[in-house]
This record gives sequence, structure tokens and C-alpha cells, in this order.
Amino acid sequence: MVRAISSLYLFFALCALMGTAFVYQTLFNKGLPIYGSPWFAVLGLALAANILACSLRRARAASAHFLLLHAGLIVIIAGAFAAPFCRFEAQLPLRAGEASDMAQAGQTSYRLPFSVKLENFSLEYYSRPFGRLILEENGSRREFDAKEGLTLSTAAGDSIKVLRLTHDFGLTSRGEVVEKSPYWLNPAVQVEITAGVKKKKLWFFSNFPGMHDGDFPFGLSYSLEGAEIRDFASSVTITGAGGSMTRAQIAVNRPLRFGGYTLYQTSYDPADAAYSLLTVTRDSGLWLVYAGFIIFLAGVCLWLLK
Amino acid sequence: MAAQMILINTAFFFSLAGLLAFSAAYVFEKPGLTAAAGWALGAAWLALTAGLGAMWAASGHPPLSTQYESLLTLLWFVFPLSFYFRRRTARPEIAPAAAITACLLFGAAALLDRTARPLMPALRSNWLIVHVLSSMAAYAAFALAAAAAGWTLAKQRAEASDDFLLRLTKTGFAFLSLGIITGSVWAETAWGSWWSWDPKETWSLLTWLAYAAALHLRKKGLRGHKFAILLAVCFALVLFTYFGVNFLLSGMHSYG
Repeated sequence: MVRAISSLYLFFALCALMGTAFVYQTLFNKGLPIYGSPWFAVLGLALAANILACSLRRARAASAHFLLLHAGLIVIIAGAFAAPFCRFEAQLPLRAGEASDMAQAGQTSYRLPFSVKLENFSLEYYSRPFGRLILEENGSRREFDAKEGLTLSTAAGDSIKVLRLTHDFGLTSRGEVVEKSPYWLNPAVQVEITAGVKKKKLWFFSNFPGMHDGDFPFGLSYSLEGAEIRDFASSVTITGAGGSMTRAQIAVNRPLRFGGYTLYQTSYDPADAAYSLLTVTRDSGLWLVYAGFIIFLAGVCLWLLK
Repeated sequence: MAAQMILINTAFFFSLAGLLAFSAAYVFEKPGLTAAAGWALGAAWLALTAGLGAMWAASGHPPLSTQYESLLTLLWFVFPLSFYFRRRTARPEIAPAAAITACLLFGAAALLDRTARPLMPALRSNWLIVHVLSSMAAYAAFALAAAAAGWTLAKQRAEASDDFLLRLTKTGFAFLSLGIITGSVWAETAWGSWWSWDPKETWSLLTWLAYAAALHLRKKGLRGHKFAILLAVCFALVLFTYFGVNFLLSGMHSYG
């Protein structure tokens, strides 16, 4: 039995089956991912059993690198199988100024043993973005840095004057234009177009090029340049069960560990600067995976030195 | 930008000169040209190193974030790996294999978007350096192994090169393992999950399994031209993982 399970041919067959499954999943499968299906788990278990049986069969005569390489793999696979039982992961949506201890995983809500208040969400740009007006007529294209007061003339003698620029266009209930946030989330430019004696004021949006309500013998659009985001971060205050308060900043690649949980900066809403999405995890089996990585890499080092 | 392009084009020119010199040495049976070809590859590596350095200085971050930048980094590894294995194994086919690989990869790089972009937030981590460098070193070793396998098959010397091909494959496999593991640790730090079945992750694992199977098959007795053919087949998976996944499948690695 052990001989059959430890067979190299079984290893080759399992590799071929897994490879086929990966190709199917990534190139053809339009339904639920196969990775959560029982047969895929059986495939993973069979691979682990094959590696384990092979290692045990050759344990007495095997070299250190052989044992470490195979033991590392078994520990990594064990860590992967332990994840559903040891791992908690949920999303924590937050709004500026509000605290929440309710995390959501799918349709289920979980109450965390602490609450998180979003003090501030910030976007950091590499450089100050700027808007450009693009004028297209008679097959030619001209670009201009959009500045308030700038006046352009078209070939037909019409004039276009820049009246106002906004980073994040918003309207109040009374119809007044306001900046919704200090970020360049919905940039817009208001221009006054003069054709003969007729004058018309229009807004042009970078995110919605066709939204202006005008029909002209030329093309006019507004685009944002240099708006590459360097980082985004949430400044939070965490209140523990005993009332203890911790202030911290959570950014991409800089998660926060608190009370056995880890909080990650996951996303934000480009249309709402007051919103931030964090991911909360707790993984008591992660050490098993990392131990597997270390054992495997130790085996790789010895294998190369051989 | 102009200085970088001049240096990278110079590296391509020297690689091409090296390949032509190797070809001439083989066709006209003039071994003296082989030494000149080796010097040309050395010059190509120096020019590429300077070009990558200029790119780093201009962008302010290591040139590892776009596919163009990572491909040049992959190319950078081709040269020292070939010099090292030439010295350690004394196998003559490694140098022409490096010249072929370099010319093909420079050609592929010319087709890619060269626009330098600032690092997106997810890539602003020191893990970028260790993850991408180890992955590109692995791909370079596999590319060299495939090119050397092709060269030995063409010259019908696959039996003699078997051990050398194994060494290259082992090197690539070790670096690929390191690349996958460092990627997992980075993913845990950035996204909170060490494995997400992202298409790039999945295809990297598939490639890893293919090379693991190839190494076990060799242990089982597969040698010579069969092992060389197997390495060429496995390298097709590397190509899909590196290029195909980026162009055909969307995922968390779409940027590079």
C-alpha cells in the first residue's frame, strides 16, 4: 500500500491532473472556482500523501536536503488545509468620523472584540496633478494646461474661456458647485463658449467625457495628467474591550496588528473620499505555512550545495 | 530616457555581434571567434547594467515594476548565469545559448511598452526587489536551459550536456521556489492572504510542478535528448506564465 502511494508514477499523474485543473480554471472555467471543490481537496491530499509516503519510505537512507524539501512541502500543504479552520477574514467598511466593530464576510456579519474609528482617509499623489484641455478641429489636435482665465480661439473664430476648475466636482442640494474632497476624484472644468453673440457656460468632466450638454463644430475634452497615486492610508483609532485606545495608520504594505488580528488597507472609493475599506484577518495557522517555507528553503540550500 | 535607450540598444548590438561570432565560429570552424563572441557578451552585460542603472536613477525606483523593466532584469541575469556555468562546467554550448536567449529577449523587449510609470501603492515594498529578482533569475536560468537544450539537440550532443542542463534547471527551480515563497510572504503583508489563486500564482505553481516532475523524471532515468526536449516543453510554460498570463488573463499581477 505504502509502495503504491509513494510511487513516482502517482506523483507524475497527480502533477498532470493538477496542471490540467489549473489550465481549466484559468482559461475555461466561467463558473465557481474549482479550488473550493471537494475533488480538488482530494487531489491536494493525495499529493501530500504521496510526498509523505515517499519521504517515509526513503527516510532511513535519504539525505538531509531530501527530507527537508519534502517535509517543507508537507507542512505547507498542511497549512493550506488548516486555513479554513484557523483563518478568519472579513471586510471592515468605514466612513470618516464613524466607528465600527462589525466586519462582513459575504452575507455574514461578525462583531470584532474592538471597534475601529476612521479618523481620516488620505490619498497621496506623486506630484500635483493638473488638468489639460484638448481642442480638436479640422483633423488637428491642440492641448492646453487648464488655468482659470485661459482663453482659446477656434479656427471658426469661436472663443473658449476657462471659468473654473474643480478637483472633485460636487453639487449641493441648492445646485451650487462645491469641492467634495481635496482629492482629484472627479475633476471638472467650467468653460464659457462664445460663438458670435451667443454665450454658453458648460462643465466638462475628465471621468465622463460625453457628459457636457453642448453641440459644437469642434471637439473639446478635459483630461487629468500626473494623477498617479503614491499611497493611500487610513488613520484610525482602535478602542479595545477594556476601553484602551490606540491610534495608528494603516496603509498598503503597512498592515496593523492588534489583539491577534491584522488590519489591511484594502481599497477606497474613488467617488467618495470619506470611505475606506479594510480587511481584518486572524490566522492561527499561518505559522505552519511559514515554517513550511523555512524548512523547504533550507532543503533547497542544501540541495544546491550538494 | 535617451541615455537608457542608447545603452540598452548597445547591449542588444553586442549580443547580436556575439551571436554572429558564435555562428561564424561554428560554420567556418574558426574557434578564435568564440573568444571574441565571449567578450561581446561581456560588453553587452556591462551596457545593460549601465542601462538598468540609468533607468533606476531616472525613475527613482528599481526597474522591476513593468513587464519591459522586468524583462530587462531577466536579461541581465542571463549573462552572469552563462559566465558562471561556462566557468564551472566548461560546457561550450552555454555561451551561444546565452547569445540566442539575449537576442530573442531583446527582440521581445522591443515590442513592449517602454513607458516608465511611478510605482503603484501595492508595489512600494522592499519585497518587490527580492520577489521579482528571484523570479527573473529563475526565468533566466530556465531560458538558458531551454536554449542550451535546443543548441545541444541541433548539434546532437544532448547526452554530453545532460549534467549541465540539470544544473541549470536546479538553479532555476531553486530561484522559482524562492520567488513563489517571497511572493506569498509579500501577499500576506499587502493583501492579508498568502495565496489567492491569482492566475499568475496558479501558473507559477503549474510551472513549478512541471519542473519538479522534470527533475523527478530525470532521477527516474530520463536523460539525453528526451530530457532536453522536456526542458524545452517546460519553458513553454514559463513563457505563458510570464507573457501569456499578463496579456490574456486579468489578475493582481496585471501590471508586470
